[in-house]
Amino acid sequence: MDPQSSLDVVRLVGELDVSRRSELATALSQAGGGRAVLIDLSAVSYIDSTVVAELLRFRNEADANGRPVAVLIGSQQLARVIEYAGLAHAFAVFDDRGRALTFLAGTSPT
Amino acid sequence: MTGGSELRINRDTRDRGTPKAIRQALGAFLTALRIEPPLREDIVMAVGEAIANAVEHAYDTDDPGTVELHALTDAQNTLLVDVYDRGAFIERDLREGRGLGLRIVRAIARAVSIDTEGGTRIRMVFDTGAPPEQTTI
Repeated sequence: MDPQSSLDVVRLVGELDVSRRSELATALSQAGGGRAVLIDLSAVSYIDSTVVAELLRFRNEADANGRPVAVLIGSQQLARVIEYAGLAHAFAVFDDRGRALTFLAGTSPT
Repeated sequence: MTGGSELRINRDTRDRGTPKAIRQALGAFLTALRIEPPLREDIVMAVGEAIANAVEHAYDTDDPGTVELHALTDAQNTLLVDVYDRGAFIERDLREGRGLGLRIVRAIARAVSIDTEGGTRIRMVFDTGAPPEQTTI
């Protein structure tokens, strides 16, 4: 597959908190060199601010490289924690996989 | 909600299961008090941030320590939660490293205070709302 047209998917499950921060960082660092990244948290029921900080760091790095990032959630707790952290506009968050993929497909390489 | 209910937990900060175990115990306590989602989830979220703060540096340094939670209700539908970490050796970074966490706590709790004398105590006060009306079947 052409890496410039490919999609990297990072999928995690369960409750993500400070005790799994390094696991998350490792999973994100292993995302390939595709054009866009889908962080699939649809099977994650809880995140805390250490996870939000790690996602923000990854998104900033991806932004710098012109790689769009979408976050797929299955629990509204994830949307609320991002909102309470004041970062609702920092992430493209979707609760529908199709819409997340449509978003990523519609973003142009920079 | 009834007045005077209380929950006390004391856990080892080096145990990686500590944050989740405390969240689960608090969630069960709130369920018993008939506090429903999303408020219940939000309170657990805020307290989870305080717990994360207490254990975060312990993971990095592997120093021994404990984190204590004390939750107490009153008759005015108020929940008071203290998260207390006695480990004075733990380097604190409340203003920057945990800035996001405190922002989340402040978005949910009615009042928050932090005392770093001899450890760190994060005190959170939550409104728990009116009790659900009794129903008969």
